[in-house]
Amino acid sequence: MGKTILIVDDSESIREVVSFTLENEGYNVLVGVDGKDALKFLDGQSIDLVITDLHMPVMDGIELIKTVRKTEGYQRIPILFLTTESQVAKKMEAKEAGATGWIIKPFVPSKLLDAISKVLR
Amino acid sequence: MENFKEKFKEEAIENINDLEKALLELESSPQDKELIERVFRAMHSLKGGGAMFGYANISEYTHNLETVYDRVRNDQMKIDENLLNITFASVDLLKKFLNEEDQDPEVIKEKNFLSGEINALINGQPIPNQPVSLQPFASEEKNKSLKTFYVLFIPEENIFDNGTNPLFLLDELGSLSNDFVVYPHVNKVPGLEKINPESCYIYWEIYLSTEADMNAITDVFIFVEDECVLQVNKISEVNLLQNKEFLNKIDKTYKDQVDADVNELTKFAYNLSQASVEEKKKAEEKPGINVKERAISSIRVASDKLDNLMNLVSELVTVQARLDLYAANSEDAELLAIAENIQKLSRQMRDIAFSIVLIPIETMLTRFQRLIRDLSNELNKEVIFVTEGVETELDKTIIENLLDPFMHIFRNSLDHGIESAEKRIALGKPAKGKIMLKAFYSGANVFIQISDDGAGIDPEVIREKAIRKGFISQDAQLSKKELIDMIFLPGFSTSDKVTDVSGRGVGMDVVKRKISDIRGEVEVESEVNVGTTITIKLPLTLSIIDGLLVKIQDTFYVIPLSVVNKIYAAPHKDLVNTFNHLVVLDGRQIPFYYLREELGVEENQTQMEEVVAVKYEDREIGLVVDSVEGEYQAVLKPLGKHYKKQDFFSGATILGNGTLALVMDTNKAIKRFSIQ
Repeated sequence: MGKTILIVDDSESIREVVSFTLENEGYNVLVGVDGKDALKFLDGQSIDLVITDLHMPVMDGIELIKTVRKTEGYQRIPILFLTTESQVAKKMEAKEAGATGWIIKPFVPSKLLDAISKVLR
Repeated sequence: MENFKEKFKEEAIENINDLEKALLELESSPQDKELIERVFRAMHSLKGGGAMFGYANISEYTHNLETVYDRVRNDQMKIDENLLNITFASVDLLKKFLNEEDQDPEVIKEKNFLSGEINALINGQPIPNQPVSLQPFASEEKNKSLKTFYVLFIPEENIFDNGTNPLFLLDELGSLSNDFVVYPHVNKVPGLEKINPESCYIYWEIYLSTEADMNAITDVFIFVEDECVLQVNKISEVNLLQNKEFLNKIDKTYKDQVDADVNELTKFAYNLSQASVEEKKKAEEKPGINVKERAISSIRVASDKLDNLMNLVSELVTVQARLDLYAANSEDAELLAIAENIQKLSRQMRDIAFSIVLIPIETMLTRFQRLIRDLSNELNKEVIFVTEGVETELDKTIIENLLDPFMHIFRNSLDHGIESAEKRIALGKPAKGKIMLKAFYSGANVFIQISDDGAGIDPEVIREKAIRKGFISQDAQLSKKELIDMIFLPGFSTSDKVTDVSGRGVGMDVVKRKISDIRGEVEVESEVNVGTTITIKLPLTLSIIDGLLVKIQDTFYVIPLSVVNKIYAAPHKDLVNTFNHLVVLDGRQIPFYYLREELGVEENQTQMEEVVAVKYEDREIGLVVDSVEGEYQAVLKPLGKHYKKQDFFSGATILGNGTLALVMDTNKAIKRFSIQ
């Protein structure tokens, strides 16, 4: 494996569960607490996938996705966002911003890994 | 998960407090968008976390509240006192949920009341009161029969821009499928001068048979539904992808460069499937075990065809070596290029041909498991059988030859190795014995170990027995290993009583011989009361051997390297003037055979000759040749039916320069020499 996944979420418990699940699968996990915090990882290191929450203080998921899509060297990486099904409009907005796909909250680990396998192999 | 739950609880309390604070501030400035966002975020976190950590109540409840605040956020609703009151009450309720008081009748009453209020807020529209969980939590009844689907997937040129890799989607579709046929269409790919490497020009037609339903298939493309044209049709209620007629049909459609006409295909499929439905019905009427179809289609081939193929391939390898040699010596660049290509192809051919005749050790397992089960019942011993690395592959001929020896070894383990449960407990071992089969690759060999944690072999018992049977003298000094190795001697049995299972003294010597026949080696290690491990070293394949190339007169011979101990140079006169065919080498007397003489080649005039000392049974025998040329990897070829009757040579090999070398079967040859 050895692929690197960046997780961005303002909720510590979600961050922990997601990193725990992914580390168990053998991924390297980077963690950001909000969009702005996550940008510090876009410093030239190789990231294979970004998973971000949409609602976050400081910089929300949409802004983060737009920023990543503009950052040299990261334009093409898959970005999945965490979402709740009630917001079709938000989903569309995130897609517009350049998201690859989404993971529906609440998720069970197997579903999360399924979604990841859609964009990573 | 429990410690995550604790974490969630802490966080939920923070969120609830944050929610409360934000609400208080909202009361004084109800227009503040930032505050509404804060309320929303807090609820959002509660909802997501609640569902994940088993607080369905929390997620359900906040979901409904979220709906209300979503409207507030989108200016469809105003913050007023009523809403704030309900929200404050809800905060208190959420705290109770968090403390797991949700079964309390008071709390339930409160919840029902507030839910009603919230429903009233949403324009009196009742909200379906259900947890906000998705499919993962609801298992749907799957229809357990294979259907055939047609998928047309035309990605937009810019599909790469969002980090999507269409091939992964196909991969995923493949993982849903039982049978899977993919036709890529490349006709839209522009010429090299016009191509944009960041665009996707290819589109795919996919046929699959799966137990999944239409939704599962469209779900694969859920992330890209806006960036592609996707068409999914169910073509048939049965699996047609094993049907030759259907496969030919779709193949032809593809080759004609047209996209499939789904309607026509469905009709065609229907007519075909009628036939197979009939068959299915018949099959269902027959009782019996329904064997699951393998996803990998395989065919059975007569093994002599495979042997033929292997022969041709090894011949090809030989010819290719000649071509290489010739091309390297010529100045012809064109020829060199051709030779290089042939080399590449023949190497791939060789690898594939070899892998065809390899089968995993697993294929033998069922027989062993059965044997162990039956025997342990019969002997009233409890045993667990553990395997490791049984996916290791070996030549099918080797596997066939291993069955009997392995059965012998397992019988021995159960009969003499594993003790009765009482005895084991007395020795402080677990009551259940353990027999383990472990296989692994190492270099060009496969090692298979069969071990038990039983009584082990007591060297002293062996010594006594060997003395009694006259194998060794009273005062023979033997190491532990030498003693244990005596179990391989013909007619040696350690069991005090002959049982039906083993102990007739026809065990280990036969095992050793059979394994030598396939050029394997056996080793035994044993500790009293700890157990016995038998290690078998096998060549990966029988068709290539490491040999020693030797020369007599003008003829080359190959002696298998596995039997060669040492090579000595010896003066001619020492070898021809001996009177009892013994030669002194390294200070030891070694019996030898003069191969010129044995093979009927006339007397030789060279001063020095070489003696190849080979293992024969438990001795060392010298074979005298003119000269040793060096090591050689020989591709074995059978000798044709006219030579079946002779024992000296097991096969032949073709050397790089095109001449033949005969491969000597030293065991059989020495036996033959000793009889004459």
